[in-house]
Amino acid sequence: MGILENKFQDNVVVASLDKLLGWARSTSPWFFQFGLACCAIEMMATAASRYDLMRIGMIPRSSPRQADVMIVAGTVTMKMSLRVKKLYEQMANPKYVIAMGSCATSGGPYWQYGYHVLKGVDLVVPVDVYVPGCPPRPEALIEGLLKLQEKIQAERPLTKKIA
Amino acid sequence: MSEDQDKYIAEVVEKALRGDMDAINNIEDRVTRSKAKAALIKAKRLSKTAAAEAAPAEETAQTDTTPTEKSLNQKVAESLEKKFSGSIDSEDVNEHIQLNGKNWFEIAQYLKDNPDLLFDSLQCITGFDFGEGEALEVRYNLHSMTHYHAIEIRIKTDRNDPKVPSVEQVWRIGDWFERETYDMYGIVFEGHHNMTRILCPEDWEGWPLRKDYETQETYHGIIVPKVKEGWE
Repeated sequence: MGILENKFQDNVVVASLDKLLGWARSTSPWFFQFGLACCAIEMMATAASRYDLMRIGMIPRSSPRQADVMIVAGTVTMKMSLRVKKLYEQMANPKYVIAMGSCATSGGPYWQYGYHVLKGVDLVVPVDVYVPGCPPRPEALIEGLLKLQEKIQAERPLTKKIA
Repeated sequence: MSEDQDKYIAEVVEKALRGDMDAINNIEDRVTRSKAKAALIKAKRLSKTAAAEAAPAEETAQTDTTPTEKSLNQKVAESLEKKFSGSIDSEDVNEHIQLNGKNWFEIAQYLKDNPDLLFDSLQCITGFDFGEGEALEVRYNLHSMTHYHAIEIRIKTDRNDPKVPSVEQVWRIGDWFERETYDMYGIVFEGHHNMTRILCPEDWEGWPLRKDYETQETYHGIIVPKVKEGWE
């Protein structure tokens, strides 16, 4: 923090408000669990004790109103796509979307002939991070979440408003 | 070594076949003992196959003399013909029974309640499309938990106005089976209490498992067919 750094005692931290906000938001992104198919099993494994998502500040929530990140884990059918959109709209800002697995990113195995499957959740909601795999291992999902944290940290919410 | 050993083994195996296993078990040399055991197994197998070859010849001789028994399908078809004459479409009832849909509800009740048949379990309802201009078909797989026997019933219906009587009131599981068949083939089951789609959205267009099905372009403004061309 330039000239102000190390000018105060140990228990005083100096930071720009933008960065502070970014840090605060990125380290506790509660996620909206969206288990639609087999990816949900991997997502559960990620949240369970072996991979322990809690250590990067993520807690699964069942309500869109308490969540910051929506992890779309699984095959989104046309019937479900309207619900996905509705639930996304119910989330409070700032909100992020992770498309987990082949189905959520592009339709997966239903890519060409699946009449009932949405060909990628990005046709309905804006996606921040795509996690490839069928289904992705918990490590891959955690990698995606860390990428999302980087993205959130790089945001400058206050600067944006002034500009 | 070998000739003497062979002779010895043959002797021991003969003894063992007569019931004296100790003759083999008491052989001190491990190699010889295992060879003797292998020879014993071989000898036993040979005698078994010889016996088996002799047996089926006798069996076929027996079945030739006795009159062939009626299969379940034939029995069911006969009793249906007796009670509901004119309901069976095809003479050939070896694999399935082809009905024409007339009195199907009453026939289903009869199949379920008749003490000789007791088809208390409807295991599956399948739709079937024979292709452009051809008929649609519904297939029922029935099973009896009491008699452990099963039959298949098939009913053809017109493609442009597909209607089959509902058996939802006979077998309760038929409720969802019929809704699924309706969802995929558009076959209407008359008398069903809630004939709506079960899997697809209620406002979906067309019947997906028919052979002339074409996917709709958009659903509530969302593009349905594949769009991301460059991804392959």
